[in-house]
Amino acid sequence: MRAPLTILSLVCAATLPLAGQQTSVTGVRPLSFGTVFPGVASVVSRTDPANSGQFDLKGHPGGTASLTFLLPAVMTGPAGATLPLVFGGSDGGFSASQSINNQVAFDPRTPYLATFVANRASVFLGGTADPSAGQRAGNYTGTVTLTVVFF
Amino acid sequence: MYTATKVTIIALALLTAGAVAAQAQNNASINVSAAVQQPIVVLAGNNLTFGPVFPGVPKAITLASVGAGRFDVTGQASAPVSMTFVVPANLTFGANNLPIASWVGSWNGVNDPAGSGFTPSAGATAATFSGTGSLFVFVGATVTPSVSQVAGAYVGTVQMTVTY
Repeated sequence: MRAPLTILSLVCAATLPLAGQQTSVTGVRPLSFGTVFPGVASVVSRTDPANSGQFDLKGHPGGTASLTFLLPAVMTGPAGATLPLVFGGSDGGFSASQSINNQVAFDPRTPYLATFVANRASVFLGGTADPSAGQRAGNYTGTVTLTVVFF
Repeated sequence: MYTATKVTIIALALLTAGAVAAQAQNNASINVSAAVQQPIVVLAGNNLTFGPVFPGVPKAITLASVGAGRFDVTGQASAPVSMTFVVPANLTFGANNLPIASWVGSWNGVNDPAGSGFTPSAGATAATFSGTGSLFVFVGATVTPSVSQVAGAYVGTVQMTVTY
């Protein structure tokens, strides 16, 4: 009877650290194109400290996480007008140090497997707004969602 | 043995629970936004008109002349723009050409040719919308008919493109 109890104790000790650690993703900064002129494409770099989108992640040091964006094709504006959005192959950035100046570029259109160094990291997002020459004036908005699966 | 088996099952269940807990999914959203300014609209306000022209006598239309061409432009208040022109080298009447040159231009936030001067045929020109989003562009030129110029109604087209 003593031996099985010992095994049970060891199993619990092995599983508790993983179950006890908290993981999270938080939207920190919106992706903002600011003032845009009809017919003039507006580009926001993922390294733009004021206008790039930013998510902060909390994970496990040495752990990995799958990052999957849900990216809108357009922003919606006055009277249902739409403003096309374009995301390129290097518009996503992962920083294991949470530094906007130290990112690894990735394609936000496809899932990306990131590795944590510490327990916090950041994801940055740039993009291009491409208004037509006759784009209706007004404020346009959309939503970007990041889903993170921590392993 | 029975007790050991039961404990093993419990241990496996705990391991499975631990594995599930170690794979957590989270998501969050941010907004994307843009403030689109007024689009540019260009209208032909007034044709560049030389009226009667006599063979061998050049005729100039100044910016202040009634015959000066004018484009009426609207857009985003106070925004800078770039203007480019396509101007003809000749007015035509059938197969006959009437040379046109010495292009002059001016732009202003109000309907007054006494604005900022520029040369329409010289490439891109910077201008700025008024505080109410207006821009008036005036165009003049000189035609030089030959002494044997064929009589007729000569026409041509001046094209202006305005971009932010």
